[in-house]
Amino acid sequence: MKKRDKLLVKICVGTSCFVQGGADLLLYNDFLNPELLDRFEFEGCSCLEACKAVNDADVESKPPFVMINGKLHGNMNSDKLNKLLSDEI
Amino acid sequence: MLDMNNQYTRIKSRVYTMVLKSFFNGTLEEDIDKIPFLIIPKDTDPIRCCIYKERAMIRYRIMAFMGVNIEKDDDEMKPLSEYYREIMHKSIPSAPVITTISTACSSCPHDQYLISDACRGCLARPCYVNCPKNAISFANGKAHINAELCIRCGKCMDVCPFHSVLHIPVPCEAACPVDAIKKNNKGVAIIDYTKCISCGKCTRSCPFGAIVERSGLFSALKLLQGKDKVVAMIAPAIDGQFPGNLGQIKQSLLQAGFDEVVEVSEGANITAIKEAAEVVERIEGGEDYMTTSCCPSYMELVNRHLPFLKEKRSTTLSPMGYIASMVKEKDPTCKTVFIGPCLAKRIEGVRLNTVDAVITFSELAALFMAKNIDVREVEASDMGDTTSFEDCREFAVSEGVAGCVVHRLQEGVTLRPMYINGLDAKTFRGMKIWPKRAPVANLVEVMVCEGGCINGPGTIVSPKLALKLRGGKATAPAKAVRS
Ligand code: FES
Repeated sequence: MKKRDKLLVKICVGTSCFVQGGADLLLYNDFLNPELLDRFEFEGCSCLEACKAVNDADVESKPPFVMINGKLHGNMNSDKLNKLLSDEI
Repeated sequence: MLDMNNQYTRIKSRVYTMVLKSFFNGTLEEDIDKIPFLIIPKDTDPIRCCIYKERAMIRYRIMAFMGVNIEKDDDEMKPLSEYYREIMHKSIPSAPVITTISTACSSCPHDQYLISDACRGCLARPCYVNCPKNAISFANGKAHINAELCIRCGKCMDVCPFHSVLHIPVPCEAACPVDAIKKNNKGVAIIDYTKCISCGKCTRSCPFGAIVERSGLFSALKLLQGKDKVVAMIAPAIDGQFPGNLGQIKQSLLQAGFDEVVEVSEGANITAIKEAAEVVERIEGGEDYMTTSCCPSYMELVNRHLPFLKEKRSTTLSPMGYIASMVKEKDPTCKTVFIGPCLAKRIEGVRLNTVDAVITFSELAALFMAKNIDVREVEASDMGDTTSFEDCREFAVSEGVAGCVVHRLQEGVTLRPMYINGLDAKTFRGMKIWPKRAPVANLVEVMVCEGGCINGPGTIVSPKLALKLRGGKATAPAKAVRS
């Protein structure tokens, strides 16, 4: 697969996300299934502005945020990322 | 210890940010009693019994954040706004730095070993054979542990081929290296402050968030509001805790209202120079070993539990001690705020009269969030000439302190260092016998947090990632870090 065929995973490293669990997602090399690593391209990105609209009744609206192929996902953790990425392929 | 980014730490950071936002708005006094309702709205799915208890817990977190000694000063009839007024108008003692929320404590059953259904009552019965107290008997083809006889040595668990022995610990008690946590007659955890060394391990181990640190942030906020110049003293461990480099962290602090930022590593350079001279002098004078003195929790350990080490520990001040006097010497009217990963530093801060407030990285993170400062986006500020002390940023990592001392020895002198990398009950027992069996070393570096300060209770990112973000130039081998 050529590099540009890979789907893009943006891990938000804005301060809100980073300090509320986003930092740990940067260890994706360690926790993702190895086969997923080849299929996606990862990058840290600036604040996605989603942290400005947290709704306390909805956990999914809370940091840390990750954008997978243009779609925003909140309340991210390593297990969830593994699952979402596996669903994507 | 719990994984750092669990539900509880997220709630905490939510509480902190919300309180601070309203503080900077100037509306905290009106808002503060509403915050528990805003964070736990009506339609929330409660984790505990009901939303009312959840809200009560938020109330306690707000109190701890303001620095209230909950154990001592909890008054359920008193509105938060009144606590807030009090906090803003008088200064409260910072010790003890750790307090318990008794209603949050789930009164975990005593530490115990149990035989599960997986037991097959095998022929070899290694559990029975290896139990030093004859606490194991057999009934209905399965092993059974007599709790009265069991001394919780764990031997049966180690030898069972079916992994059928369960160990159910009390997380706070297990985390405490010095046995300072006990239960009262209702089974609620209480801290014995005569034993506590303020290491903060319990605050990070309770899955119910029932043991909390009393934040020092409000003391710092009061200083920032005052007219005096406020100097932020950033601990060596800060590198890797925020998304950005040191220059950007400095700039963010300036934007947050600090007037000047200094690196504690500059003080660490003096600590290392003096310890290098002191250790040589001591060895020449016939002493067998000297320990470092920069870890404040270790200093408490010596004061409270290992008095024989009083004459073995270096008399040098900690990096915080030196940098704070340097800052105050330059400008005696300014106020100093130490920003680090450590709770015990607040105890040390009280002892020194040069440190005006101590806050943690997670509190600073809340401050940045409340002020909408995005560390990664700000223009890096110049750190000045750091060449003389740059290597002392390694004070934050196990083996880094001894490394810096060794680099500052006169030529021709060699030392044999030894490292206490993290204190737990077992290491503590080992240290107790040092008067009889001295460590085979002449410089003993002691860090109560495993891996060093980068694993302190006030940190934000896991030590593994922190090391990576620090550029991997750590002198500590990977083993120093829990993965
Ligand atoms: S910091 Fe991630 S969305 Fe704002």
